[in-house]
Amino acid sequence: MKILIIEDEKDLVDTLKNYLGSEGFLCETATTWFEAEDSLSVYNYDIIILDLTLPGGNGLDLIKLIKERNKDAGLLIVSAKNSLDDKIKGLDMGADDYISKPFHLAELNSRIKSLARRRHYEGSDEIVFNEIKINVEANEVSVHGEKLDLTKKEYDILLYFMVNRNKLITRESIAEHAWGDSISYADNFDFVYSHIKNLRKKIGQKKGKNYLHNFYGIGYKFSD
Amino acid sequence: MKLLKKTSRTYLIVSASAFIVAGLIIYFVLSFILEEEMNENLRSDIKSIVRTIDKDKTIPHYFPFVEVKKVQGHSPGPYRVIDTLIFDKKEKEQIPFRQISSVKSIQGETYLIIVRDALLEKSDLLMIIGVAIGLVFVLLNITLYLINRKLSLEIWKPFYNTLDKLRKFSPDDSSFNLTDNSEIDEFAEMKNTLEGLTSKVISDYQSLKRFSEDASHEIQTPLAVIQSRLEALVQHPDITKDQADLIKSAYTSVQRISKLTQTLLLLTKIANDQFPEKVRVNMSELLQEKITLFEDHIKSKSLTVNKQVAEGFMLETNFFLAESLVMNLIGNAVKHSSKDGTITISLNENHLEISNTGSPLSVPPEKLFERFFKADKSTGSHGLGLAIVKEICKLNKWEVTYQYVNDQHKFIVQF
Repeated sequence: MKILIIEDEKDLVDTLKNYLGSEGFLCETATTWFEAEDSLSVYNYDIIILDLTLPGGNGLDLIKLIKERNKDAGLLIVSAKNSLDDKIKGLDMGADDYISKPFHLAELNSRIKSLARRRHYEGSDEIVFNEIKINVEANEVSVHGEKLDLTKKEYDILLYFMVNRNKLITRESIAEHAWGDSISYADNFDFVYSHIKNLRKKIGQKKGKNYLHNFYGIGYKFSD
Repeated sequence: MKLLKKTSRTYLIVSASAFIVAGLIIYFVLSFILEEEMNENLRSDIKSIVRTIDKDKTIPHYFPFVEVKKVQGHSPGPYRVIDTLIFDKKEKEQIPFRQISSVKSIQGETYLIIVRDALLEKSDLLMIIGVAIGLVFVLLNITLYLINRKLSLEIWKPFYNTLDKLRKFSPDDSSFNLTDNSEIDEFAEMKNTLEGLTSKVISDYQSLKRFSEDASHEIQTPLAVIQSRLEALVQHPDITKDQADLIKSAYTSVQRISKLTQTLLLLTKIANDQFPEKVRVNMSELLQEKITLFEDHIKSKSLTVNKQVAEGFMLETNFFLAESLVMNLIGNAVKHSSKDGTITISLNENHLEISNTGSPLSVPPEKLFERFFKADKSTGSHGLGLAIVKEICKLNKWEVTYQYVNDQHKFIVQF
C-alpha cells in the first residue's frame, strides 16, 4: 500500500510518515510542487495526501495532474484554509475526501483506511480484531459470530477504534469524530464516556474481551 | 438644493438687484440729460424770439409755449427756470411744463419773454425705464437658465456618471474603474482622486482578505504540527502519569487556539461578506437536523426540549451561515441551560426563538453579543458564538435580541 504525502511542512511530513508507517503503509513524500510533479510522473500510488497550499504552485492544479497520471489513486485533500470554496472545488475536481488542519492523526488514519477499503485493498469489507468483526458495507458488528446491536454513535466509535487499533486515541479526537462541530458546545466529555461505557458493556455481554483501555485521562487505546 | 437651482437663484437675486440699481441710474441720468437739453432748447428759443421781435417787430404768442409781455419797471435779468403746471383744456388735466422766463430790452422796450415746453411726466419716464429693464431682466434670466441647464446637463454628466458608479462600488469588485473622462480639469482631478481612493480601498480589502486567510493558514499549519507531534508523543509506551498530564494540558490548549483561529476567521469572513451564494434554505428541516445533533448533549444534562417548529419554512440565505446561526444558538442554549432545565425552540415565518432556563445574567445584556465576552468565565468557550450570530443577522438584515423572561434566557431572531 503506497502513499504519497504532498505537504510542505517538514515536521508534519515526518509525523505523518512515522504514524502511517507504523500502520503498515509505505510512505513517500514531496515537499514542493515540483517534487510532487516528479513523483507523480514516475511512480504510481494507491493513496495521495495533498496539501493544497504548496510552495511553487496551486494545489488545485496538482489535482488535475493526479487525475491524469494516477487516476485510480485515492485522493485526500488537506487544507489549512478550512475554506468552503477549496473544499467544494477539490471535491468537484475528483478528490475523494477533505480534511482541514489541524487534524487528529487517528482521524486522518481512519479516512485513509476508508479510502483504502473503498479501493478494495485489505481484501474485504471486513475489519477483524480477534473475536470482533465489523462489516463496513452492511454496518454490522459481530462478537464471536453473534450480531451486536449498536447505536449509530457506538458503531462510529467502535469502527474508529478498530481502524486505529494499538494507538492511543485522544478523547477530543473521538468526540469530534462522532459528534462533529457540535462537540465544542459540550461542557464536558461525559456523554463520550457513557457511550464508551455502553460499548464495553455490550461487547462484554457477548463474551467479548475488554480491549478498551483508558490512558491517564488523555484518551483510549484499543488493544490486547 | 440642486446646483442648478442654487446657481439660478443666485443669478436671479444678483441680477435683480443690479437691474434695479441700473434702472435708477438710467432714470436719474436720463431725466438730468433731458432737462438740460430742454433748458438749452428753451434758452435758444428765447434768443430766436428776441431776434424775431427785433427784426419783424411782431410779438409772437403761442400759448402755452411762448408768451411775450411788455413790462415796465423791470430791468433785464438772467434766465429764471421754474417748473409749473398748466391746465390743458383738451386733456382736462394739469400738465407739467418747464418754463424759462427772461426780461429782455429790445429797441428801448422791456419784454418779459416766457417760453415753456411740456415736461415728460416723471412717472411715465420711470414706467418706460421699468418696463424696458424688466423685459431685459426676464429675457436675460431665461437665457441664463437655459444655458445653465444645458451646461449642467452636459458638463456635469461625467460628474453624475462618476457618482452613479461610486454608488454601486463594492470593495469586492476588483475590476471597478471610473472610465468617463471629462474635459474639465476639476472633474478629471476628482475622478483621478476617487480612482486612487477606490483602488486603495480595493487593494486594502483584498490584502485584508488575504491576510485573514494567510494568517489562518500560517497559524493552522504549526498547530497541526504541534497537535500531531503531541499525538505521536502519547503513543510512546513508557509515558508516566505526570508526563501524560503535561501533554494533556498542552494538547487541550492547542485545540483551543485552533478553534479560536477558525472561529475568528469565520467572523472576519462574515464581516467581509464572503458568503455571497444564497439558496432557499428549509429552516424547519435545518433546525430539526441540528437539534438531533445535540441529542446526547441534551440527554447528558437531562434537558427537556419544547419544539414549536412550523413545517416547511423557507428562507433565502447562505446555507452555511444559516447552519452556523442555528448551531450557535442551540449550542449556546444547551451549554448555558441549568441541569434538568428546559429549552424552548420555536420557529415561524417571523422569527426564530431559542430560550433556555437559567439564573439571570450578572452582566448587562448588550455585552452578550460582544466578541470574546464570556458571561461565565469558568467554561471553556471562546466567547465568539453570539458575536457570530450577531454578524450573520447583520449581514442578512435580521434582528437578534435578548430578553430574560420567567427565568428564561430568550434569543429572538426576527426575519
